[in-house]
Amino acid sequence: MPRLTIDGKEIEVPAGANLIEAARRLGIEIPHYCYHPGLSIAGQCRLCMVELEKNPRPQIACNMVAMDGMVVHTQTPKVLETRKSIMEFHLINHPLDCPVCDQAGECWLQIYYMKHGLYDSRFVEEKVHKPKAVPLGPHVILDAERCILCSRCTRFCDEITKTGELGIFNRGDHSEVGLFPGKVLDNRYSGNVVDICPVGALTDRDFRFQVRVWYLDTQKSVCPGCSRGCNIEIHSNVRRPHHAQGRRVARLKPRYNPHVNDWWICDAGRYGFGSIDQGRITFPQLREGGLLREVTWREALALLIDRLRAYGPDEIGLLASPEMTNEELFLIRRLAETLGVKNLDFQVPPREPGDEDDFLLRADKNPNTRGAEAIGLWPADRGLDAWEMLEALRREQLKCLWVFHHDVTRCGWPEGAVLEALQAAQCLIYTGSNVNGMTERAHLVLPAATYAEKEGTFTNFEGRVQRIRKALPPLGDSRADWEILGECLEALNAGPKPNRPEEVFRALAHAVPAFAGLTYRDLGEYGLMLREVAHGASR
Amino acid sequence: MSLAGQMIAFTPAQLDEVRRLQALYPDPRAALLPVLQLAQEAFDFISPDVEQYVAGLFDLSPAHVHEVVTFYSLFFTKPVGRHVVSVCRTLSCHLLGAPDVVAYLKERLGIEAGATTKDGKVTFFTVECLCACEMAPMMQVNDRYEGHLTREKIDRILERLE
Amino acid sequence: MAELLLMRRFEIPDSHTLRVYRETGGYQGLAKAFGMTPVAILDAVKRSNLRGLGGAGFPTAVKWGFLPKDSPKPRYLVVNADEGEPGTFKDRYLLERDPHALIEGMTIAAYAIGSHLSFVYIRGEYIKPFRIFSAAVHEAYEAGLLGKGILGSGFDLEVIIHRGAGAYICGEETGLISSLEGKKGWPKLKPPFPAVRGAFDCPTIVNNVETLCHLPHIITLGGQWFAALGTKTQGGTRMYSVSGHVVRPGVYELPVTATLRELIENHAGGMPRGRRLKAVVPGGSSAQILTADEIDVTMDVDGLRDAGTMAGSAGVIVMDESTCIPEALWVLARFYAHESCGQCTPCRESTGWVEKILARILSGKGRPEDPDNLLDIARRGAGTTICAFYDGAVNPYLSYVEKFRSEFDYHIHHGECDVQPGRVVTGLGTR
Ligand SMILES: Cc1cc2nc3c(=O)[nH]c(=O)nc-3n(C[C@H](O)[C@H](O)[C@H](O)COP(=O)(O)O)c2cc1C
Ligand code: SF4
Ligand code: SF4
Repeated sequence: MPRLTIDGKEIEVPAGANLIEAARRLGIEIPHYCYHPGLSIAGQCRLCMVELEKNPRPQIACNMVAMDGMVVHTQTPKVLETRKSIMEFHLINHPLDCPVCDQAGECWLQIYYMKHGLYDSRFVEEKVHKPKAVPLGPHVILDAERCILCSRCTRFCDEITKTGELGIFNRGDHSEVGLFPGKVLDNRYSGNVVDICPVGALTDRDFRFQVRVWYLDTQKSVCPGCSRGCNIEIHSNVRRPHHAQGRRVARLKPRYNPHVNDWWICDAGRYGFGSIDQGRITFPQLREGGLLREVTWREALALLIDRLRAYGPDEIGLLASPEMTNEELFLIRRLAETLGVKNLDFQVPPREPGDEDDFLLRADKNPNTRGAEAIGLWPADRGLDAWEMLEALRREQLKCLWVFHHDVTRCGWPEGAVLEALQAAQCLIYTGSNVNGMTERAHLVLPAATYAEKEGTFTNFEGRVQRIRKALPPLGDSRADWEILGECLEALNAGPKPNRPEEVFRALAHAVPAFAGLTYRDLGEYGLMLREVAHGASR
Repeated sequence: MSLAGQMIAFTPAQLDEVRRLQALYPDPRAALLPVLQLAQEAFDFISPDVEQYVAGLFDLSPAHVHEVVTFYSLFFTKPVGRHVVSVCRTLSCHLLGAPDVVAYLKERLGIEAGATTKDGKVTFFTVECLCACEMAPMMQVNDRYEGHLTREKIDRILERLE
Repeated sequence: MAELLLMRRFEIPDSHTLRVYRETGGYQGLAKAFGMTPVAILDAVKRSNLRGLGGAGFPTAVKWGFLPKDSPKPRYLVVNADEGEPGTFKDRYLLERDPHALIEGMTIAAYAIGSHLSFVYIRGEYIKPFRIFSAAVHEAYEAGLLGKGILGSGFDLEVIIHRGAGAYICGEETGLISSLEGKKGWPKLKPPFPAVRGAFDCPTIVNNVETLCHLPHIITLGGQWFAALGTKTQGGTRMYSVSGHVVRPGVYELPVTATLRELIENHAGGMPRGRRLKAVVPGGSSAQILTADEIDVTMDVDGLRDAGTMAGSAGVIVMDESTCIPEALWVLARFYAHESCGQCTPCRESTGWVEKILARILSGKGRPEDPDNLLDIARRGAGTTICAFYDGAVNPYLSYVEKFRSEFDYHIHHGECDVQPGRVVTGLGTR
């Protein structure tokens, strides 16, 4: 491990680290545009200049590997002056339309100009004109005049997705980012180019002009779109909802996790947040005379307990969901144990096989299948699995079915048979977030919070347990599954309801060996592997 | 792929040449420039259709081929005349009258630099140093360098063109 | 004129043929080289004080010495025949009039550095040179002077001729390598240097045509003999391309100890029509300009460096008193703006900016602060870019304005030229 000195401070860094990364470890930020840790070194923007002792000219830090004994200066008058010059060169052909640019507030030209630029403008010539507001694909729009030609986007398409849609055409100051004539930027990860574009050249068609970034709140979470469990940030807009037609979630952004997704997420995950604010079930409902009627939680829970007590354990089925958190699944398992119910399952076949590739996307579109398996949401000895529960409903052997989140009317099973079974149920309880085929048929509908509205953990397909956090209050009267289940267990005298998911997790870590020793604190930023996996005893 | 009814495809002999070129280099992609040169000979200029066709021969993205084509000044992305005249305008030629050569060509051909005469006979460009400064002012006419240009010499050169 | 080495066959009919080349002592250097070890050749080259004649003037033996000793990868020799530096045309003469000298020199170099594949990158506009050189390569293959077991030595060398497609930046050695690899000619970041990781990620030596053409006589006559023709730090002769306002423009081979004045006045015949000299660019357009009083300098690499300019590619552009210096600089600024590859920001942005400022000055809309701004822009960008192209643009920007400041000021204050009042510059701002 090389040991070097940066601005008078010594540090040891991993072999091969460049000077930007080495400085970052000391909390020293070396400004840069083209460098991105996930992409090859381009060295084009020339902003990351530093001085090395015994070297007459400033050097770019991105292409300089840290070496033992190096002495680096990032704040000399020469460095500061060079940065200022480079900033000026970046800006001469850049439009001066920040007030109408959607990147305002998170634009690295603005940020670095304030920190490292601040010269008097002296460019009086005509700027080079290039195409503006060009849709590149379903998600991304290009303003070539704002582009500073850092080549991050082209390198992303060449090196990460290997789809090569983007290029830098022509040369000199006529150089221009674009697509091959007639092509579209529609690879499964296209939205990432918006994140890595340091300026307002590539923006999100979906997010454009919806809300100014300084009105956004951020929360760390995990994408529920598939079993990869990519780390994300939820950017929500609760301060100015009227700016986005009441849409609270403004956008999702990838969050770095070297074990899971590096800096990236897929477009399906990125743009799949509509269901958090649309089509939601916002209050408990009870079916009476064929119609759903709004009821209070008190009424709903009383009814729920009444039903669960009314039937024998063999007449009840519980169909959990791999969309639920580990904590919630654990509470369902406890509920099954409390009631003596053996008919327990969590898996329902998807209507179509999920999209998969050799990068991030996984065919299993559930965020917590691995967690459900580890916690053991399987039928207890000779209990019924999901399909058998439906068959038993149809034969009227099973009387009461509580379904969490699955819309079994739209899954891989024959629809006719499913509808017939649901029709035969004496009591069909549905807990879910969004209106669907189940809300049309359930007798009791309990509105559940989405993943963005609660705390908890998911276990990804590799067995990595990762935290999700509450970015928003549950919409309307909806409640997190763990709360609903907690109330239910308390009413059934199975212990006091938990105050926080962390309490449940502690119990889970105690009860389920795979989770033994894990705590919220230790999960940290990047999550931790299940024990059985960590010890190589994966099932 | 077609362009104004013309099929964009190399002949079998040209395809053999493509394969020979690809096998020649340590990395077949290095044959891109020679193959584009071949394509320009075959199809007169490099349209997006040609770029796409060539990209297919290399398993390259069409955007990559477009980058290359638009980077180099000798690839024509638009149709050109039967003859291409490129007048050098860099320093030595400029000192010895390149602006007059350009002005005279504009007058004689009745077109601006970069354009093609109506009869499709001549396209004329201004270009940067052709490295024949000893014969300044000079120009390239198809594959020949013509130097020590005067109005009379330009007249004679243009008259020789079919 | 002193002894000719590079140009000695230029006036012989059919000098480009193998027959004439052999009749005049050709391929004797190669035969001798095969009797030497590669180390002995390197040593002869080291002793010759041969310095690269493509532009940078780097000692050839030192460059070869940068090749990694223990790399399992093949090594490549790349011949830089992308001649593009304004004012330079010597490589064209060599390719057309003595192509076998290049083949011989290249083969000696390949043998010395242990390369079995050579690329010759010829600029795309050079069609006649390409044809002549290709024919010579064909002849050489037929005669067993290229290919397997050359001259019965057991040394193999294949040659690939690669044609450029119109981009000055491909003369820069890493831009050339990008172009050779089938990409646009964007120069590469250094480190790694080509000798360590070059073409196709393998150790690569890039040498100029003229540099390699010197090898046959360095081998036949000896390194010391060659060194003795020059200065302490640079041996031999080189070809000076002379153009602009001189009576006899053309290529002249002189020992590097010759002065610029000798070249212009004696060899090139001075100014036509008795005009007075105003300025000279001694090493291609990327060299700093010299005034008429500054031409008593030797034209070796260090001599011109000490005079505040550079030997570069030895393209000598002569400007007489009728020349408008701001206009000359604008012509070059247009060249640099046109040829900047666009990869790195300072070069991409300021080459265009400088061109626009100069066009504005020439069109009579100059501002008093323009000259200082030009100097400031040039100084700020200098030394910050990926390749030396931009420093090559900064050299004229700075030296023309610094040395001929009054001409710029006159344009700005009077809206016209003091050299040729009333003259209108056409085609301003077009690129
Ligand atoms: C912008 C630029 C253009 C260049 N053009 C040429 C050229 O046309 N021919 C050439 O031999 N070297 C050129 N060079 C120099 C090459 O980079 C390289 O130094 C040279 O080919 C090495 O050969 P030598 O050591 O034999 O001189 C250029 C350099 C720069 C920065
Ligand atoms: S569009 Fe953005 S990411 Fe792409 S090159 Fe331009 S500035 Fe960089
Ligand atoms: S200095 Fe100019 S020519 Fe060289 S890499 Fe940068 S932009 Fe390209």
